[in-house]
Amino acid sequence: MSETWLMKNLRAVKGRAYPRVVGGNREPSWVFFEIALPILTVAAYAYIYKFMSARPEFVGYVILGGAMTAFWLNILWSMASQFYWEKETGNLQLYLIAPISRMAILAGMAVGGLFMTSTRALATIIIGVFVFSVSFTLSDPLLMVLVFVVTMIALYGMGMMFASLYMLLGREAYHLSNLMTEPIYLASGFYFPVKYLGFWAAAGASFIPITLGLDALRQLFFPTGSQDAFLSVWTEVGILSALCVLFLILSRLSLDYMEWLGKSTGRLTLRWQ
Amino acid sequence: MQYAVETEALTRVFQPKRKKEGKSVTALDSVDLSIKQGELFGILGPNGAGKTTLLKILSTLLLPTSGKAYVAGFDVETDFQEVRKRINMVSGGEVSGYGLLTVKENLWMFSQFYGIRTKVAIERIDRMLEQFGLMDKRNEKVRTLSTGQRQKMNVIRGFVTDPDIIFLDEPTLGLDVNASRVIREYIVDWVSNGTDKTVLLTTHYMAEADQLCDRIAIIDNGKILACDTPENLKKLVKTSTMLKLDTTMLDDKRVLETIKGIEKFTYADDATNNLTSLKFVLQDESAVSDIVSEVVRSGAKILALRKTEPTLEDVFIKMVGKGFE
Amino acid sequence: MAVSSDLRTFKNAAWLGWQMEANWTDPFLFATYSIVKPIAGTLILVFMFLVVTGGETDNPFFSYMFVGNALYMFVADVLFGVTWVIHDDREHYMTLRQVYIAPSSFFSYVLGRAAIKIAITSVGVLLTLAFGVFVLGIDIVFGAIDWVLLVPALLVGLACISILGLALAGVTLLTAKHAMGINEGIAGVFYVLSGVIFPISILPSWAQDISKWLPVTYWMEAVRRGLMPDALAQLNSRMNVTGLAGFDNVMLMAVMTLGVLVSLLLSISMFRYADHVARRKGKIDWTTTY
Repeated sequence: MSETWLMKNLRAVKGRAYPRVVGGNREPSWVFFEIALPILTVAAYAYIYKFMSARPEFVGYVILGGAMTAFWLNILWSMASQFYWEKETGNLQLYLIAPISRMAILAGMAVGGLFMTSTRALATIIIGVFVFSVSFTLSDPLLMVLVFVVTMIALYGMGMMFASLYMLLGREAYHLSNLMTEPIYLASGFYFPVKYLGFWAAAGASFIPITLGLDALRQLFFPTGSQDAFLSVWTEVGILSALCVLFLILSRLSLDYMEWLGKSTGRLTLRWQ
Repeated sequence: MQYAVETEALTRVFQPKRKKEGKSVTALDSVDLSIKQGELFGILGPNGAGKTTLLKILSTLLLPTSGKAYVAGFDVETDFQEVRKRINMVSGGEVSGYGLLTVKENLWMFSQFYGIRTKVAIERIDRMLEQFGLMDKRNEKVRTLSTGQRQKMNVIRGFVTDPDIIFLDEPTLGLDVNASRVIREYIVDWVSNGTDKTVLLTTHYMAEADQLCDRIAIIDNGKILACDTPENLKKLVKTSTMLKLDTTMLDDKRVLETIKGIEKFTYADDATNNLTSLKFVLQDESAVSDIVSEVVRSGAKILALRKTEPTLEDVFIKMVGKGFE
Repeated sequence: MAVSSDLRTFKNAAWLGWQMEANWTDPFLFATYSIVKPIAGTLILVFMFLVVTGGETDNPFFSYMFVGNALYMFVADVLFGVTWVIHDDREHYMTLRQVYIAPSSFFSYVLGRAAIKIAITSVGVLLTLAFGVFVLGIDIVFGAIDWVLLVPALLVGLACISILGLALAGVTLLTAKHAMGINEGIAGVFYVLSGVIFPISILPSWAQDISKWLPVTYWMEAVRRGLMPDALAQLNSRMNVTGLAGFDNVMLMAVMTLGVLVSLLLSISMFRYADHVARRKGKIDWTTTY
């Protein structure tokens, strides 16, 4: 009995997620690296705020931002850039000749890495709370879940768009990812409220889903969050929902176009570019 | 009749990214091929002939610059999604897969990309592991496999999805005799026992092509030089006499070029053992005595002389003028 | 003979490192990337400072923080770069085993790759400092630079970082690809505990004790004293803000030199041990990507 297109692609998601899940268990050293070490960058920024006598909630913002970097890094390095590694090891061409959506492969990578990513994020928050005596107070758990989910969908959609670059490029795309890591931290307000960049800069940065997602989460977790907020939570949820749709469409178009371009120029499976 | 694979004036030109990187390369030049369903078709050619480029176009990884290619009746350019449902590909020296996963897990993972239910996939995987003598490696991590075992696993990966058409790009490259034999036997059985199952095999091992293929296309510099059954191809050189001559080191081979009756010849020097091996395609058998005289006159000693039946390599030498170095 | 062979290996490894770093795009894009990346990395802290203080860039702490963050690029890039060499050569290009079994010194190979990283990072650091001075008003006055302290401090510190990279390279031989977190972690330890962006005096006392065992702490202090002696003196005039005001320049250099020697001993021992274990467990050419 032939399966529907959806079932086939869900099966592909499961297939690609499997190595991520299993790989993590078989090389458990990630537990130390993903839990203990990310807190160091967070600690550095927390201490600098303390030295500058910043408002106490700024330390909380740093911890929240540090936790969310786990998801940003998962998208940038464990999903988008992963196509580069798949190309270099010869897996990409096997994925591309299979009768499945490229988005299913990328979704599988993302889903498979979620456990590791979530562990890192949670550990950052828990350790940060204990070490720096920060209090997170959640005013609306359901709204928090909604914000988180739409942010992640939009963010992963954007990540799929980046992944399409790797169909055509090699190390150029890799260095682009490298280049984007810290400016995104800056523009998206990972470590300070994006409102302070000015309206137009913050508006521009809102194109990156995590900007508004973080801003909304800050308002939900901290009583003073609204004071430092760029837009209201519901406005941000609305924009993020629109970004979900936009990025999923754009990523599909981008993946198709880049694949076509890669096939035309002969660079789709070209290693060591 | 629908062909399994059909190409019409298929051409692929690679342009360099930047001018300083060199000139454009024509990897395929107006290739016309028609491969029937149920055929085990070989493509024989030296390195850089265009074999892999052809396979990449047919497997929808590369677009042609001009011309058309159809796989199972679908255009590889516009109907690639339909093509992908019906094909698979295995390359020699593949290092795909994930070292941390076991053999079974790797094979299962790839089967999921073809929508195969886990129960069915595991049954096929176990059956094929048994056939390839890899059952004891089922739960071993892929990174512990030897080269031959790895390639067997790759071949299983290609066949486990039960494609209608499979592209094998030098599948026995670098493997020992036993591993190569197992793979070749499996390929032949798969075609003969299946219904309209087609194999397109590229290789530069003459004996492999001769042994396995129903028909062979010889390709060089992107052009198909000949396409026929192995027997018919060998008949192309049967009107000529094949001569093999082993001598002590023959320094000046140019004198041989002047002898009438020699259509083509190649040679290989073994400096360590002070030997030269020569192969001749002769139009006229009387040239044998002239060859022997010239060799003796040049001071070399004849160690062995024999007439041979034409092989595919001889066919290739006749067509291209070089052996398979 | 052995020395010239090591030097040749060092030189060839540096050449290879340059090729890997630079030949992925055309020169204009590469130049743009080399300028934008280091500066972008510093701007997070700049904005954090501006948000909290309302724009007080003439505060000596601003210069302290900016200079420290610029110098930290050496630490992060070299440590990352050296560990990345192992992973990249092993799993991506699969050339590590060929390099490893060659008769040339593997140490020299790793140090050569580290050296080119330092050279490339130096450009980034200089550009960042220039940006800081000309755009942000960082308190570095060319005429006030203490070259007598700055040059040896830089050289000794960079040697120390390269040697630490060697130890990490050894550890990397034993770990899977995802353990690039090692470099993040070790570099992170220095980031928090070595007075990179804030004085160690803000840390709890137990953490300050650890800081005083880290060679990078003294390096940061020494290079800052060389680059911006007046700003640092102004900062320390209120109290022993940096935590090392009691060390004079000679003591600083002595501690740094001792740090290099101890690091050298520890790093070579660690590398040798890791190398032995890697060979025993067959990890020199294993692949771990998933």
